[in-house]
Amino acid sequence: MKQHDHSAPSALLQTLVGAGVIVLALGLALGALSIPSNAGYAGVGPNFLPWLVAAALLVCGGFMVYEARSGGFRQMDEPSGDGAPYWGGFVWMSAGLLANAALITTIGFIFSCALCFVLAARGLRNAQGQSATGLKPWLSDSVTGLLIAAPVYWMFTQFLAINLPGLTQSGWL
Amino acid sequence: MDIWNQLLQGFMTAGTPVNLLWAFVGCALGTAVGVLPGIGPATAVAMLLPITAKVDATASMIFFAGIYYGAMYGGSTTSILLNTPGETASMVTAMEGNKMAKSGRAGAALATSAIGSFVAGTIATVLVTLFAPVVADFAVKLGPPEYFMLMLLAFTTVSAVLGQSAVRGLTALFVGLAAGLVGMDQITGQARYTGGVPELLDGIEIVLVAVGLFAVAEALHAVLFEGKVSESENRMSRVSMTRDDWRRSIPAWLRGTAIGAPFGCIPAGGTEIPTFLSYAAEKKLAKGRNLAEFGTKGAIEGVAGPEAANNATVTAALIPLLTLGIPVSNTTAILLGAFQNYGIQPGPQLFTSSAALVWALIASLYIGNVMLLVLNLPLVGMWVKLLKVPKPQLYAGILIFATVGAYGMRQSAFDLFLLYAIGVLGLVMRRFNFPTAPVVVGMILGPLAEAQFRNAVSIGEGSAMVFLQRPMSLAILLVVLTVLVLPRLLRRRAAALL
Repeated sequence: MKQHDHSAPSALLQTLVGAGVIVLALGLALGALSIPSNAGYAGVGPNFLPWLVAAALLVCGGFMVYEARSGGFRQMDEPSGDGAPYWGGFVWMSAGLLANAALITTIGFIFSCALCFVLAARGLRNAQGQSATGLKPWLSDSVTGLLIAAPVYWMFTQFLAINLPGLTQSGWL
Repeated sequence: MDIWNQLLQGFMTAGTPVNLLWAFVGCALGTAVGVLPGIGPATAVAMLLPITAKVDATASMIFFAGIYYGAMYGGSTTSILLNTPGETASMVTAMEGNKMAKSGRAGAALATSAIGSFVAGTIATVLVTLFAPVVADFAVKLGPPEYFMLMLLAFTTVSAVLGQSAVRGLTALFVGLAAGLVGMDQITGQARYTGGVPELLDGIEIVLVAVGLFAVAEALHAVLFEGKVSESENRMSRVSMTRDDWRRSIPAWLRGTAIGAPFGCIPAGGTEIPTFLSYAAEKKLAKGRNLAEFGTKGAIEGVAGPEAANNATVTAALIPLLTLGIPVSNTTAILLGAFQNYGIQPGPQLFTSSAALVWALIASLYIGNVMLLVLNLPLVGMWVKLLKVPKPQLYAGILIFATVGAYGMRQSAFDLFLLYAIGVLGLVMRRFNFPTAPVVVGMILGPLAEAQFRNAVSIGEGSAMVFLQRPMSLAILLVVLTVLVLPRLLRRRAAALL
């Protein structure tokens, strides 16, 4: 039976969060089944903490579901920012981050990060409601992205000897 | 006398040109990340953790420490000048600091917070110098049951005491503990939750979790919810204090330090309670015209006290970190991770096994505080310009640094996908008001606590009664119960006074 009380859509989301924690707890419990207990002298073995964590998360998740169904999570801060999420910007930024992950070993750190910068900045510009027509913002973001990514790459590869992938083997690009 | 010699040795190590340069870069970077919204000291240190592969331990710990306390100086600049307070620690500063800035006294507010931070930071560093070795000597005598209880204390305070909701705090803690479970069990070598993936045997990289939860989640939150938020900036004025300002600030700094330092020393961290207490104390002690300034024109005591309390807490928090190996905040947890990357386990033995490193680190605190005073008083105008960096470029730029941290640690593109997933998780946590510190502390401290627990039960020949039979362990257990109750009462009291 569905409840038709005062619960706002956020109550549904809160229930989902609580349910997610319960699912995580069950997953951990499932994994704990396959961990042997060989406790030795200790009386507690490597499977003790996994079971404890699973049980604790189950209780926490259950309690959160209860809170969500009975008036919402307690002691919440006022959420910061606007009420309505701007999903368009989220998609741009996600695309940037995922493209970066997918391309970094092929096109190198500098270009991959610059691309991520351009896509993320696009999302944020749109979120601010900037009229981003024309080529200019794209161009300026690309240049800014390259100007940040390239020195970062050189600093880490040349001075700190941290391996970051390049387009070439030269260590500069 | 012995302490004195070792401290001098520390100054010799920290005073080499290379280490001075690391300290300076750390302080400057720390101030910058403190000023910039969207990135804090924990994120900055986490992103830079890959350097531990190449840079030697002393230099990088000096560098990280510089970022750690430099951010406290920078944070107050933002909370005074910008009308959107960031982290809880600077929230109290923002209350009076913002009012002062609005009535044209931004300069005096910045000055009292920088000098107050210096005074408190230096006094707290003296405390670290004097007490850390004593605590270490004492801590050597502690066995696994006592250690486990101390870690339980840290878990309790970070999850159930700080933050609003104990349920969400505990959930975050257990998620962190679950993440810490992945990999090889420390005692038996049993693989847990690796799903047969060989990379997971070493566990989940802390950089990924920290950078994902803080940096990526922050950027995603900004693009989703903060696009239309408009910020206004207060006008700067000359950074100086009048005679009257000094007269009112000095006692407030000292009181703030006295309130803040003890909170840092006990593994019951968080700057929220001491800063609020200091604010409440200043307000209660103020009289006449000064009292009338609270909440109207902005009272300088209300900035001086909490700022000093904040810095004293943060500096004194190094005592439990260095002597017990127990972190109580995001940043100290990541500093612990940095030590672990060098195969160094902070704890009582640190003062004997890595004496040179520890004393150089402590000496660098003195040096860094002086550097920061210079960076933040005459040069404050330079940092204020950072507030003008437009949001799109700022967050997009942070993502580039996030990539360096996440990829640089293990050179795996898979980690970047994981980073995104953790970022989305962090976004959900942020939206539903889950604290993040318990995740990071749980993940880093969890495996250590588990090992101590199992060793303790072994000592008790399989009986958990061992925790009650040893007086020290029983005492800490009682403290755990006290901290569960006491701060709630204190906070209610502080809130009633506001």
